Amino acid sequence: MLSNLFRIKWVRISTIITLLAGFYFAAVVAHQQRAAQREQPVLLTDNCRAKLSRYGLEGGEYYRSPYRRDPGTMVPVRRGYSVADIRAIERGCVIIDDLQGEQAQASIERWNATRFVRGQQTSCDHCHQGVGDKQGADGRPQIGSLSLGASWVMADMYDRFTGLLLPFELRQMQCFINSSNGFKPNIADDLIRDVTAYSRFLSAALDLRIGQRYPEQGIDEVTVSQTLKRGDDYVRGEALYRQKCARCHGAQGQGLRQDGRTLVPAVAGPDAFNLQSRNNFSFVSTILPGFICRNMPLGEEGSLEPQQCRDIAFFVSNLPRPAGDKQGPLRAAWQQLMMHGMPPLVGLMSELTHGTGAP
Amino acid sequence: MNLYRPPSLTTRCRDWMGQQWAVIGGVLVVVAIIVVAHRSAEVFRVTTIEEPGWEAFSRAHAVAEFGDDGYFVRAVQHGYNLFFYTEKYAWRFTRKRAGDGHNSCASCHTVEQLAYAFVNSDREDPALQRRVSFEERVMRCYAGQMDGFVPTRYDPAVRDLRILARMVARHLNLGEGALRDET
Repeated sequence: MLSNLFRIKWVRISTIITLLAGFYFAAVVAHQQRAAQREQPVLLTDNCRAKLSRYGLEGGEYYRSPYRRDPGTMVPVRRGYSVADIRAIERGCVIIDDLQGEQAQASIERWNATRFVRGQQTSCDHCHQGVGDKQGADGRPQIGSLSLGASWVMADMYDRFTGLLLPFELRQMQCFINSSNGFKPNIADDLIRDVTAYSRFLSAALDLRIGQRYPEQGIDEVTVSQTLKRGDDYVRGEALYRQKCARCHGAQGQGLRQDGRTLVPAVAGPDAFNLQSRNNFSFVSTILPGFICRNMPLGEEGSLEPQQCRDIAFFVSNLPRPAGDKQGPLRAAWQQLMMHGMPPLVGLMSELTHGTGAP
Repeated sequence: MNLYRPPSLTTRCRDWMGQQWAVIGGVLVVVAIIVVAHRSAEVFRVTTIEEPGWEAFSRAHAVAEFGDDGYFVRAVQHGYNLFFYTEKYAWRFTRKRAGDGHNSCASCHTVEQLAYAFVNSDREDPALQRRVSFEERVMRCYAGQMDGFVPTRYDPAVRDLRILARMVARHLNLGEGALRDET
């Protein structure tokens, strides 16, 4: 009966038109819902509330940050923020602090951020600690802490990894693809624009100037000249990892999740950054050691020697993790096999040799 | 006796072309587009031409602090060329020609204004009731004031103006949201 009906030409044509119109209206409704959601007041996380209130984010014609980099200096008056600007900054802050929406109300996904992320663990603030503005006990920005504000003022410079004059937005896209092992948002996506708005606000609050270098920008890389020149050693790295890192990140670097929240991020396995991330260099790395030396272990930053950071980074970089999007299907399949096959084997070996299974 | 004479090669070619005219026409159009597109390949060249005034501008704004050469300096120089000689370097995005009035960015703006616009961009525009980026402003200028066409956000015609603005902002020691009468 139905197949007979579809033999009539106008029935076929009108069905196709109806389907296309349905898709179009569904897209329009979804877009309107998303736009309406962006008009709502932002539910701030605790960290964002503290950060934005400390920097005196309020609406008005002018803005003056209460922050003092050095005693006796004052941050100049800047252009103020409108209600829409403030909402964008607040959204950007929340995206950095809680990319996965773990602290979001109900089950509404917050501004579709997780569309661009694989897995349930990665969040921007795992690398950009202190909601992108990590500071030491003395209130000064932490050296080599990947500060977002300092990154903004030095954006558009030549990037040795990509060979591009890398815009801030493109760098964020790389973070989503590699560090979050996910997908590329559009350069004009609201997500990218909100994070940019927050980063720009941080640079205003901290009185950072365009094109200037600051110690908190990027990573304070650990070069070989800073080490004991003993070479990066996997065995030493594994021993150090077990001693310094495993208590939080787990023996196999799988991180720690509890009650649907990520307490400690994975540094290996399906939920970690992928092989294409700048954190990952299987042979010689200066970046991950730099991050470890300046930002790890939490609360004991700066306690590791450069050689120790290099050894730990070498060990971590050689743990199994997802392949990047340029590494091809064979490598991806191999990495999947390693990620899912190795942990039980290592656990079994550990149980046989030490009598305890690795978590 | 066989009276059939096979058609000559010329006749067969003519017949075949007669049947395939649509295909041949299509191929010719594609080839023409490729040729035209490659004519503008020099837009994407890695070296830049030194236009009048660059030397003085470069010295006054200490561009050499970023090196004598390199991607960033070339982009700044290309941004300078775009800003002062828009009709020559962004000809794809403007209908204005050398003889027209107001044919370059410099006809309406100074580079300092560009730098202030850059550090005050990405804010809500009350007229449009939405946040507008620096790149979008540039794209609007091409389409509106320059009576032309909208480049993509990735185009060097947009990117290098942003990099020029960034370089001038650095020279003026501007921070985010800097006001003209900063105190």
